[in-house]
Amino acid sequence: MNTHNSTTPRPPTGPHPRPQPIFELAHAGVTFTSRKGKDVIAVEDMNLTVNSEEIVSLVGPSGCGKSTVLRVLAGLQPLTSGDVWIGGGTRKPGFAEVAIVFQKPTLLPWLTVRQNIFYPVRALRRRPDRTLNERCDELLDIVGLSEMADRMPHELSGGMQQRASIARSLILDPKILLMDEPFGALDALTREDLQLDLLDLHARTRKTILLVTHSINEAVLLSDRVAVMSARPGRLQNLIEIDIPRPRGPDCIADPDFQKYAAHIRTDIFGPRYRKEAHA
Amino acid sequence: MSSPTPFPPVLRRILLPLGTFCAFLLIWQWASNAFDVPVYLLPSPIDIWIGGVKLGPVLWTHTLETLRTILIGFACACAVGIPLGVLVAVNRTVSEAVYPLIVFLNAIPIIAIAPILVVIFGTDMTTRLIIVTLTCFFPIMVATASGIMETPAEMLDLSKVAGASRLTEIFSVRLPYAIPFIFSGLRIGVTVAVIGAVVAEFVNADKGLGYLVTSATAQFAIPTATACVVVLALLSVALYEAVNWTHKLFFNWSVRHDDKP
Repeated sequence: MNTHNSTTPRPPTGPHPRPQPIFELAHAGVTFTSRKGKDVIAVEDMNLTVNSEEIVSLVGPSGCGKSTVLRVLAGLQPLTSGDVWIGGGTRKPGFAEVAIVFQKPTLLPWLTVRQNIFYPVRALRRRPDRTLNERCDELLDIVGLSEMADRMPHELSGGMQQRASIARSLILDPKILLMDEPFGALDALTREDLQLDLLDLHARTRKTILLVTHSINEAVLLSDRVAVMSARPGRLQNLIEIDIPRPRGPDCIADPDFQKYAAHIRTDIFGPRYRKEAHA
Repeated sequence: MSSPTPFPPVLRRILLPLGTFCAFLLIWQWASNAFDVPVYLLPSPIDIWIGGVKLGPVLWTHTLETLRTILIGFACACAVGIPLGVLVAVNRTVSEAVYPLIVFLNAIPIIAIAPILVVIFGTDMTTRLIIVTLTCFFPIMVATASGIMETPAEMLDLSKVAGASRLTEIFSVRLPYAIPFIFSGLRIGVTVAVIGAVVAEFVNADKGLGYLVTSATAQFAIPTATACVVVLALLSVALYEAVNWTHKLFFNWSVRHDDKP
């Protein structure tokens, strides 16, 4: 178990006087009870503090509870032990506080792209006013879908659909953006494209992002810190700071530091498999 | 390369079945002439046509009467079936409490209960509407419920994280998702409604195609009775197509998923 409130020295891009914690998990645990009455520990004693404007990735083998952690923060899954704190002033409703991007685009097929982007507004029974309309246009522009605004989702490619879903997540200007393997269902090229777009988007909007991913390279490329989790029970195994200066781009991958971090994470994930006694 | 077809696909889709239909009528006509089938056993297409024409405007007024029964009964079935389907799908208590009763009601053969309903509710429109509604609300309700229940978990997660209330979730996600399901229920429902209306008119009516069939048969006017049956079949097809058309006109986004549920 590593430090849960480690302070992060920021790279010298943008004005960051001091890291501001924006959410925190303290000794968080989730235990599911199966139908046969057997308890399955999904997450155990998880400590993690994420600071404002930071990108943190959760990586780990499948079944390590990384998606469960995300669902806890999204309010979809209650903790069975420990605490979750989401801070930064008063809590706003819905996507104005915490927005989510799923692995599948999850666009509503009966709404146009624009109406889908407005869904978080409608969910709160509000009407899109002028500010929101302008914001929607701006987001459509950022994700490169201005031309597709009035199309139906099925007319869009998988990558475009996921872009629309990212635009939707940002419509109410959330404090925290949760992404659950957002590029996992896309082909390799689209995936790279969207990773770079996300870097741009973060540079422009400075959102706090918690990203669940299966891809070690994706985690290193995007993150300020990578939280490596181990499975059964899901625990935070290591928290690695990625000290690669921003803005980052596609050439980052060739960086020896990048490879060093990737190798480090790989050992963290696969190590215990080969040295079981060390883990037990 | 495919071989060139003489007609464009749209024309093909109309002409091919139409041709088959005409051929069927021709063979039927030829067979009744060739084997000299008595008209009271099996009237030929021309006999049926004459039977229908003889009725003239009477056939028309009775058709309208039946159509009225079908449409009002069908509307009642929608008004009861769709909300009940939503309720049963969304609320476990309602589902557990009400569902067995509904299944039981549906299990009652409508033909068996129709005369009893006449005794209870009398011989007016009300009874006919009750019979039509009873016959067709079940497929509508079940289709609605299954659409509501099959709403993908991710969509529900989305609306939950977006802070939607339970009611907003139903109206903004579950109900739209259920639209293609509801329409498959409506397609079945409207055809069953025709059967319900005829049964209702068999047991209790002085108007309508069902009444016309029974009274014509009683007088051995088989071609007339058969003409009514043909009109009923046409009515059923037309109503089915009307439901289809409504679906396409108002909910075109969901039409391509039609073949799935």
